[in-house]
Amino acid sequence: MSVVIKTTNLTKIYGEQKSVDHLNMTVKQGQIYGFLGRNGAGKTTTIRMLLGLIKPTHGEIEIFGENLFTNQKEILRRIGSMVEVPGFYENLTARENLMINAKIIGVHKKNAIDETLEIVGLHNETKKLVGKYSLGMKQRLGIARALLHYPELLILDEPTNGLDPIGIKEMRRLIKDLANERNITIVISSHILSEIEQLVDHMGIIHQGKLLEEVSFDQLRKRNRKYLEFQVSDDNKATMLLENQLEINDYEVHDEGHIRVYSHLGQQGQINRLFVQNDIDVSKIMMSEDRLEDYFTKLVGGGTIG
Amino acid sequence: MVNLLYTEVLKLKRSKMFMLSILGSAVAPLMVAAAMFVQMQTKGIMAQMDILLLNTSIYAVLVIAVPLYGVITAYLYNREYAEDTLKNLLTIPVPRISLLASKWLLLFGWIMLLTVVTWGMAILSGAIGQFAGFSLSLLLQSLGQYMVAGVLLFLLSTPIVFITLVLKNFVPTIIVTIMITLINVMLATNEHRGLYPWTAALGIANGTLESTYPLIVSYVIIAVTAIAGLIATVVYFKRVDIH
Repeated sequence: MSVVIKTTNLTKIYGEQKSVDHLNMTVKQGQIYGFLGRNGAGKTTTIRMLLGLIKPTHGEIEIFGENLFTNQKEILRRIGSMVEVPGFYENLTARENLMINAKIIGVHKKNAIDETLEIVGLHNETKKLVGKYSLGMKQRLGIARALLHYPELLILDEPTNGLDPIGIKEMRRLIKDLANERNITIVISSHILSEIEQLVDHMGIIHQGKLLEEVSFDQLRKRNRKYLEFQVSDDNKATMLLENQLEINDYEVHDEGHIRVYSHLGQQGQINRLFVQNDIDVSKIMMSEDRLEDYFTKLVGGGTIG
Repeated sequence: MVNLLYTEVLKLKRSKMFMLSILGSAVAPLMVAAAMFVQMQTKGIMAQMDILLLNTSIYAVLVIAVPLYGVITAYLYNREYAEDTLKNLLTIPVPRISLLASKWLLLFGWIMLLTVVTWGMAILSGAIGQFAGFSLSLLLQSLGQYMVAGVLLFLLSTPIVFITLVLKNFVPTIIVTIMITLINVMLATNEHRGLYPWTAALGIANGTLESTYPLIVSYVIIAVTAIAGLIATVVYFKRVDIH
């Protein structure tokens, strides 16, 4: 899988404040990459640097294997983006707003505008001035604008900001459909884990300008999912029993005698009985309380994310 | 650049600013013609077409044009900040210099159109009021003078663009243009008016500068103001972070 975005020691300093601090980020082709952090963590500054809107204090950005600052024009042509709430010319219709992008980029496909309006479900709202659009409609139009030129990389900064729960759901479905149908690499930032955890397959967690962790979501889920932990006298025999008697294969042995069972979460009594009946001493049974949200809270400190 | 210019024109669709600017440019000729017409009716002095055109150009250039063109300039450049559309344009990507250039081209066209409207309204008012001294040569000569004033005022838009981009707001631009206008009025008949770019522009266009200073001094002052504004704008806009 080739690398689409790679930043090296990316740093932005305002006065004495480091908004982004030696950030090393890697996004591979085809990934839906969640960029998670609290408000003010440095997400938008990073995204604006990726799009050439803000110049880094130091550090490098490579996109599609090329240096952004030496090939900015060519690179940006291959990217679609929506940074925070998208801005539009409110005296124009959706079609006219998209026409501005189409003219400048040189989109020659005749029905490209209609096609993208249909993708985002705005094809029946073409006569309405954008000034009369709701925030949700503007967000969808922002996605349409980002998709107009068939980008290979889509960068969306807080696309669900300000949307109501239904709007958030619609936006999530839209992004998911796009990833499936167009097979493009997507970077999506958010300060709310639950909004993007169903979408992304990789995640970077940023806090106070630093990228704390960059992991695949599968890894994260596994690392942070709930489990039953048994401390037993014979872990070999215990695991054999789990597999043969209860058909439990989703477990891990940690340290000596500590078995973590990731399935059958309500059946600790039955598992305990099985161990005891087979002469295995059980000195501790524990249900983990770690969930993904708690994990992020621990990682970035403070109360909640956002 | 053609496509970029097309999009700049498209952005004005349904914009009230365009019609308002036309109305604004018609104020000076109508005001001057009305005053001359009243004088003609009450004092029996025959109103002359050349006086109408000269007085219109004085009021238009010194009083109306600077704030009017300032508002247009602020509208063209500031709306990308106000409507938060700049981040879209620059990531399409539109090169920053091309964006400035396309707006300058539109501003030039807009200013020249308003100049023609002002001139046309003066001619129309004079014709309706049956002012004396109508001649083709007068019309052509005055059109040339109006156009020169328009071009010079366009060149002097660069500091206004710079202020708009740096302060990202209409209000400071309007305040600055009002200050320029006040100084215009103060210097309108002053012998040193050739040293102030905006009064020098009118003097050059109408050939009414006094010989206190060589004409070249006024040209140099206008050029330096325009070039300094241009350089400051380009340097600033190329480097500024877009938040």
